[in-house]
Amino acid sequence: MSGIHLNDVSLSLQGKPILTGIDLHLTEARIGLIGRNGSGKTSLLRLMAGLVAPTSGRVTVEGASPTDRKALLRSLGILFQNPDHQILFPTVIEELSFGLIQQGVPKAQAQARARDALTAEGRAHWEKAATHTLSQGQRQYLCLLALLLMAPRWLLLDEPFAALDLPTEARLRRRLDALPQRLITISHAPAAVERCDRVLWLEQGRIRADGPPAQVLPEFRAQMARIGEADADTDL
Amino acid sequence: MERSLTRIALFAALIAALGLIPKIDMGIGVPITAQTLGVMLCGTILGARNGALAVLLFLALTALGLPLLSGGRGGIGVFTSASAGFLIGWPIAAFVTGALMGWMKEVSTAGTFNAAVAGGIGVVYLFGVPGIALVAGKPLVEAFWGSMVFVPGDVVKAGICALVTVAVARARPGLVQA
Amino acid sequence: MLTLTSSRHTALHDWSAGGKLAGLAVFSVALFALPGLWSLAGLGLPLAATLALGLFPEWLRLFRPLVWMGLVILAWHGLTGTAPEGLTAVLRMFAAFGAANLVTMTTRLTDMQAVFLWLARPLAPVIPPARLALAMALVIRFVPVLALRADQLSQAWRARSPRRIGWPLVFAITLAALDDAEHVAEALQARGGTE
Repeated sequence: MSGIHLNDVSLSLQGKPILTGIDLHLTEARIGLIGRNGSGKTSLLRLMAGLVAPTSGRVTVEGASPTDRKALLRSLGILFQNPDHQILFPTVIEELSFGLIQQGVPKAQAQARARDALTAEGRAHWEKAATHTLSQGQRQYLCLLALLLMAPRWLLLDEPFAALDLPTEARLRRRLDALPQRLITISHAPAAVERCDRVLWLEQGRIRADGPPAQVLPEFRAQMARIGEADADTDL
Repeated sequence: MERSLTRIALFAALIAALGLIPKIDMGIGVPITAQTLGVMLCGTILGARNGALAVLLFLALTALGLPLLSGGRGGIGVFTSASAGFLIGWPIAAFVTGALMGWMKEVSTAGTFNAAVAGGIGVVYLFGVPGIALVAGKPLVEAFWGSMVFVPGDVVKAGICALVTVAVARARPGLVQA
Repeated sequence: MLTLTSSRHTALHDWSAGGKLAGLAVFSVALFALPGLWSLAGLGLPLAATLALGLFPEWLRLFRPLVWMGLVILAWHGLTGTAPEGLTAVLRMFAAFGAANLVTMTTRLTDMQAVFLWLARPLAPVIPPARLALAMALVIRFVPVLALRADQLSQAWRARSPRRIGWPLVFAITLAALDDAEHVAEALQARGGTE
């Protein structure tokens, strides 16, 4: 039972259907998740990360239920869209070592490993830095480092490039491409998922298309262009 | 578990942030700082236990040396000044306000106002007045009448607390404790 | 975040935080137990210490918010014909305040925190120290975040209104705190929770 399985998963929040009848078996190294605003992309990610429980159906990550937090921490990490929703600590070193301590690494050892990671990234001077003084791109990068230290098998990334300038985006993209982890990346921009092995297109809480980018993206682009041409977009 | 911890921490931070914003026009032309408003909100939104813990956490960090009180005040020294009694009354005020909210069937403006007045003014002055008397070397009665000048401003804050609480309850159904 | 600890390192910085706090407690109790004239000596002690350590200007600045309070107390006693008692009360308040500030200025936040967590140990069954430390870190992290949010919101207010900022701003900041608490709870959960 390797990979991420979703068996007929549905999710409603306050009586409102968010996701309906999702059936997926994810094993590819690079998976893209596209769709419009409000199509349910983030909710799908949160389901896999066990942050919300499905209203019906079953989710398993590497054979375990996401409610098994211990197992999940080893198999999956999630990067939120807004780093300010993720950074928990006033200083960089605390932020980086927290996840390791949660995995049972003694505090001193966790801090040493965090320090080594910073040095390896050429950012040893960040150790004592206050997290709120870092720029948006730096905070995003810090969040990613914190996840990588925990060495999960899967990384879920929610619009990782949304708030970054082009050079920062290029650097982060290179860093992500080189990772041995399996990545699921959310984006509303088809270009961001062009080189994935598999692309999922979510629309109104359902999988609209699922396949290699060459197959899914042209249709997605065409449809987005069609909707964009109409002036009255009642669901904006 | 996580949620109650983060609410306590974020509302402790909220009290500090309310001390930093530019003075707010309370509708009577007298601008006043909003920190006691933060204490009232801890009670009305987080409830008795978590509200009181949030205020305690705020006071602890202030005592440890963070300049979290309005005007950048902080350190153990703030507990030696004439206003120390008011600070000591704060967590109990949040608790009483929250407990009174808990007895209400629904979050109403009038009910929230009354809870904020009872906790945020009644309880706060119950501790504040003896504090003034002790530090200023004055009899309780004189300290009581002397501190009455602050009450009108606090009544306005209780009113704002009621408006904010009802608006929050409407914006995030289910999140307000009552 | 900025703390009130003086960045100028002095010999007092190296004393144990617990010792300084215990000393302060004894000093403050003595101040209120001894007759009035002692308060003058009580004020002299932190004054002499800050002068000797070169912390005097910084120390004096912390008195600023207390000056009007002292003046009010003096005027109040003056009106009721008890000026000497008023002077004693103000001197005593300034002495206790000055000594406390000296301790705050010469003790690092982390050392203070360690003493605090030690003092809170009897509460461990109700409030585990790890949770308490985590809560403190979260506050220190989110004060600047919420302060920035408050500033952005008041700018947004001013950009659209000539009037002074009103209660809707408090609503917006409170909602931001509540929403942030939800997000942070998730972020904590996503990284192993509080256990």
